[in-house]
Amino acid sequence: MEIVPVTEVSALAPEDQKFCEATKAWFRIDFVPKMSRVLLTVPEFGRPYGRASRRAMSDGALTRGQKELIAATVSAINVCEY
Amino acid sequence: MWYEVAYVAGVTHALDAVADGLRLPLEFSAASRPRLVTLPDDVGPESQALLAEIATFYAMDRAPAVFRWMSRDAAFLQGYWGATRAAFSDGILDRRLKEILALAASITAKSDYGVDFHLREARRLGLTEPALTEVVEVVQLFNTVTKIADTLRLEPDFDPRPGGVHAPGSPSDGRRARRPVSASTRPQEPRGRQSTTPAATGRARGRS
Repeated sequence: MEIVPVTEVSALAPEDQKFCEATKAWFRIDFVPKMSRVLLTVPEFGRPYGRASRRAMSDGALTRGQKELIAATVSAINVCEY
Repeated sequence: MWYEVAYVAGVTHALDAVADGLRLPLEFSAASRPRLVTLPDDVGPESQALLAEIATFYAMDRAPAVFRWMSRDAAFLQGYWGATRAAFSDGILDRRLKEILALAASITAKSDYGVDFHLREARRLGLTEPALTEVVEVVQLFNTVTKIADTLRLEPDFDPRPGGVHAPGSPSDGRRARRPVSASTRPQEPRGRQSTTPAATGRARGRS
């Protein structure tokens, strides 16, 4: 059971709603993940975190797909169901 | 592919747990730590052959300490090494990427033995410094979000089964969507020629 209400996209600042749209395109999904909304609930945290995340997860020396596998491994070791 | 990821995560976690739990000596770092157990010096011919094979697999003068520990029980070593070799051999994912995943698992588990071992292995198999930077960045990012998610007890956005049906209570409950993780998990280059090779570092994001 979530211990906080997850912020709705409509409650976010306009520029953060725009970022949410970009997130949907990035993941090719038709909704905004809870984590994106949680991070942007405090924009001073979520905006720079989002920039760092987008940079780190883009293709570079490793492909985005390889990075998703690393992310999945970290999640597994941390036993994080989300 | 997900089986391969799971096998690597499981074997790495177990070997790290044994090696760190018993304070086995690190393989490559100069750091020392008090040893809690004695590694066997004199093992039977069956274990000797296995240890030689293991040393060759890792391009080491002798088998890693965690396998030498297991040589106390040749039958167990034979079985567990067989599984380890299968988990870390080229498959859908190549061996280098598997070592990168093992490194990510070891950093996340804060395993001195695992980080020491898999960092060396990943580098030996071609992990470049720009690629290492990216690995650590991803590990850091996802150690952040997993703890945020757990702290807030966030329920998954997705049903984890193939097909990507939204989890109950998610914004688009009942509608199907592509899952983020499966959208681009296949390496973009043929196996064995992925962009973690030194020759490919020029394509990195301008990092040196």
